[in-house]
Amino acid sequence: MERPANPRLVARLVGDDIALTQAIGRALEADGTQMVDHLNPPNVGGLDILVFIAPDATVGTIASTDVATFSGHVGANLGAAFAALQSGVSAMRQQGAGGSVVFVAPPAGGRRAFDALTQGLRLMTKAAALELGFDKIRVNIVLPGDGETPLGRTCSPADIAAVVAFAASPRSQFMTGADLVVDGGLLAR
Amino acid sequence: MSGRLQDRVVIVTGATKGIGRETAKLLAREGARLACTGRDAADGASVVSEIVAEGGKAIFVAHDIASEADWRTVITRTEAELGNVYGVINNAGAFFVKPLAETTEADFQGIYDVNVQGAFLGLKLGFDAIARAGAPGAIVNVSSLMGQVGFPGAIAYCATKGAVTGLTKTAAIEGAAMRPQVRVNSLHPGVIWTPMITSQFGDDPALAQAFADDTPLKMIGLPQYMADAILFLISDEASMVNGAELTVDGGRGAD
Repeated sequence: MERPANPRLVARLVGDDIALTQAIGRALEADGTQMVDHLNPPNVGGLDILVFIAPDATVGTIASTDVATFSGHVGANLGAAFAALQSGVSAMRQQGAGGSVVFVAPPAGGRRAFDALTQGLRLMTKAAALELGFDKIRVNIVLPGDGETPLGRTCSPADIAAVVAFAASPRSQFMTGADLVVDGGLLAR
Repeated sequence: MSGRLQDRVVIVTGATKGIGRETAKLLAREGARLACTGRDAADGASVVSEIVAEGGKAIFVAHDIASEADWRTVITRTEAELGNVYGVINNAGAFFVKPLAETTEADFQGIYDVNVQGAFLGLKLGFDAIARAGAPGAIVNVSSLMGQVGFPGAIAYCATKGAVTGLTKTAAIEGAAMRPQVRVNSLHPGVIWTPMITSQFGDDPALAQAFADDTPLKMIGLPQYMADAILFLISDEASMVNGAELTVDGGRGAD
């Protein structure tokens, strides 16, 4: 992502969590990034940053989740992430200046049947990182925690957005295929 | 952006060279007051003078990180000359390449003393100092990609860097329960072109390029990339990041 001085990065956000999408938009704009329409980007002559925010879902154990509900959440959202990745990468490649893709996983914890979505996104991140590194397109995943954390508070949209902004920016230019856990220490236990 | 660490006091071990040196300079540019520690006084003086020349504030303290007495001197001088401690970057580390069969007990003990005991003391005395400061703080432990995966010929290094990962997770949970709280995270660099690497493999540009070609991003790992990641982890941007392993390796570990 080496760009001329004073870069004006263009970002596309894909997601339906309004509070989180807006927080990420604000964090990217504070970093000097120009936002394009979240869902229907006009042709702005290239793309530097793509953020895909996977939707949250209700709690479901494996025993209590029927196959149609599982497919409708895990399958549909992995497919949506893949479609966003494909179209974003195509726009980045046209520009030829590299780029940064950031997946945001659903909040982890207590969604047993749907943990497959998070892990599917993680491995899609790693596979895409290996395939796209040569094009200087970086792919990373932010893994937010759910509920009360060891730090004594929940993870806010602004907490997640700050981490997304780091992963999107040239400050993480040597980082790809990586997890960015933002959970106050939940996974450390 | 600048001023992310305005007037906060941070100790960086191994600040005389490589990742530590770039980190100290970047944190100073963000407004931090730096205690730069290390074994080489001439290199220590030069990093301090570079920071001061840019308008920053820094001191050098001679430091064997495996020595608790040295750690106490570092903390005492930092508090006296710079003020209450906000953060510690446990960066200093030892590295050598030897297969299992050739690694002696003395080799293993030597690298353990630096990489594990050094980080342990930095956490223990860092926690004490932050508690005295009475305000929340943060610690970053520099582990390695080799603290997450195996690497033939580096068994002692991998073992000690894996230990740093474990130290980090436990300290993160204990630090969250403290008042004031201390966040603790680990950084896992891939191959970074520093004296630690060149001292083992030679300072050969062709080798640096070979490492780059073997990395998915096809880039040579530079110390400033690690400094950017350490700044992120120690700053308020990461105020909910705790006990995390941040791998910054050009994609090497994704395979």
